[in-house]
Amino acid sequence: MRTGLLAAFCLAALCCTAQVTQDSSAEQELLALERVAKLQACESKDLDTLDGILDDGFLYVDPSGKHYTKREFFTFVKSADSFQYVTEAMAVRLHGNTAIVTGVYQIRIVLHGQPSLERGRFVDTWLLKNGRWKGVASIDVSTQ
Amino acid sequence: MSQPSSKRGSTFTVRAKSTCRRVLLLMACSIGPMVFGQQSSNTETAIRALEKEWTYAQGHNDNRALDLIFDNALVYVEYGRLVSKGEYLARIRGEIPSADEIVMDPITVRTFDNTAIVIGTYREKTLQRGQHEIKRWRFIDTWIYKKNGWVLVAAAATPLR
Repeated sequence: MRTGLLAAFCLAALCCTAQVTQDSSAEQELLALERVAKLQACESKDLDTLDGILDDGFLYVDPSGKHYTKREFFTFVKSADSFQYVTEAMAVRLHGNTAIVTGVYQIRIVLHGQPSLERGRFVDTWLLKNGRWKGVASIDVSTQ
Repeated sequence: MSQPSSKRGSTFTVRAKSTCRRVLLLMACSIGPMVFGQQSSNTETAIRALEKEWTYAQGHNDNRALDLIFDNALVYVEYGRLVSKGEYLARIRGEIPSADEIVMDPITVRTFDNTAIVIGTYREKTLQRGQHEIKRWRFIDTWIYKKNGWVLVAAAATPLR
């Protein structure tokens, strides 16, 4: 009886540890994807990388309230003279196959020769599709 | 006599079975998207209703309703601040009911299995120093279907400039 209880306890603890490890690995993956998408792909205008990270139904709302589809966002990234997107204080909340990533951003952008600086908070929604995390929605809210 | 009859019967049965299979397959093919479409449509209806319920509950300081609508891990960015469910509910509790009026514009709901993304705009009418001010916001809300139904897990709104 005791051995059975001990075995059940060990199994539950193992499952718990496995879940924590899985969640932690998903969190690390998502934080890495955020950095790749925002810090690297946007800055270097690497649309192929962005294409692999963002879902085809991706939606983005910029700090001025303008909304973009994936294609419109790509056109915007391409049209920028320079686009630097720095993030910090990121946090991941996992809900099964959906994840919410929040954080603070700073965007330095030069558009048609006009430089601008935006600071604010972002909320990104990610979905696990066929074993890969895909960005489905993103909103930037200015704190200035 | 019985043999031909049996054969006819058998042929009829095979053809009938084959036809039935085709019909069933066709039905499955056509019902599948219909069922999916129906599910997607049901989800959309549910989410639209919840968005309305949220606006109504907020306007009436109905924290009990809001508590059911919001997931415990809700993240909400309002006025550039990141607030938790507890902080949001505390703010609503302290407000004068219907002091601010929120009018929703048409919204778009996108569903991905157990997740729904809502994008839209709303007008917020506030009373500032005796003067009515109208501000338009664009928002993105994320809803997830959990064991007790759809709950809001993330929401953020930014003013339209």
